[in-house]
Amino acid sequence: MHKILFLLFFISLSAVAQKEMTSAEATALKAKVKTRANATTTVLSEFTQYKHLDFLSDDIVSQGKLAFKVPNLVKWEYTKPFAYSVLFKNETLFINDDGNKSNMDVGSNKIFKQLNQLITASIRGDMFDDNEFNIKYFKINDSSLVYFLPKDEQFSKFIKAFHLSFNANGDVTEVKMIEPSDDYTQIKFTDRIVNKNLPDAVFTH
Amino acid sequence: MRFLLTSLCFFLLIGCASYPVQNGFEPENGSLRETSNPYFANTEKDYVYKAKIDAFNKSFGGIFIVKKLGEAHHRIAFTTEIGNTIFDFTFEGNDFKVNRILKELDKKVLINILKRDFKALIQEQSRVKNSFTSDKNTILQTDILSKKHYFYYADRQLHKIARVDRNKEKVEFNFTQIEEQFAKEIEIAHHNFKLHIALKALK
Repeated sequence: MHKILFLLFFISLSAVAQKEMTSAEATALKAKVKTRANATTTVLSEFTQYKHLDFLSDDIVSQGKLAFKVPNLVKWEYTKPFAYSVLFKNETLFINDDGNKSNMDVGSNKIFKQLNQLITASIRGDMFDDNEFNIKYFKINDSSLVYFLPKDEQFSKFIKAFHLSFNANGDVTEVKMIEPSDDYTQIKFTDRIVNKNLPDAVFTH
Repeated sequence: MRFLLTSLCFFLLIGCASYPVQNGFEPENGSLRETSNPYFANTEKDYVYKAKIDAFNKSFGGIFIVKKLGEAHHRIAFTTEIGNTIFDFTFEGNDFKVNRILKELDKKVLINILKRDFKALIQEQSRVKNSFTSDKNTILQTDILSKKHYFYYADRQLHKIARVDRNKEKVEFNFTQIEEQFAKEIEIAHHNFKLHIALKALK
């Protein structure tokens, strides 16, 4: 009985921990992210990705680096446990799969592009697009969690929802992409460096 | 002229000869009643591979995942590197279910090819119809989804499966870098059309 009470206590605590924002708070978050974004020209960040499939015993963990440069140069580079990078440049997706270079992919382009737009937009601060997404705002202590539910029916068959976490400064700390099956990919950003001079060579294929 | 005719006959004979004859297999009264494939047999293990697929002059990568969920029950999924599911199948006994497949790939012909390949890849046991030997290999012939398959063992270790149709090898599965019943590298090569899958274990 004690155990159940203890459990209930924790469930209610966690329910308290994530609270929906008032519209004033949501507006303030949007403004904060936008201000932050306007002052950002480059971002370098490490990331750790957790692919969760319900039927697996463990999440599949991979690591890498993200580089961003205004207006829309983005490079995702996985370094562990495999070498793989994706570069978005001039509306094209360049893939380097352990030395095998190509600029095509199977069907995932649209998703990657959307996700990329979302990340780029979140860095730039204009991601809160009510035409594209149903958006819900939550606060957890001094950080924020925003749900983006794609309105496009075709797209929502790929990704049911994006959950983006922001720290108190308005930086993206985590992206979670949830598939219709509830399996998800969670990407956590660490060691973020802003406005360091990034030569174009970083963004070559 | 006679030589030509003889050669022609010889080639025709060889051409029509059965797969075991073409490959010089010696029939054997083997004691093994079932084929065995240990490479996806551990329910405790997540089998995760980096995949490189060359299909019809296009090349792409992804993550190939196999999980044994119970007796003759496997789940096989393929995702992009970033984690979006391309396809997700369940094999349970004789049943096959598509849990999910990208709309662009949702073609019956393609799904049937993948179903046949993956069924042969994961089938742990299958009734032996004939046994052979060749060099240091023991070769067991069985049927999987009504197609002839030859399982090659060297030192009792499975290293190749060949699917044979009309006496010709149509698909070969090669298992290499084997450590404690875990094949770290697997190749699935189709010979009658351009489809090649190379798998490399992530851990």
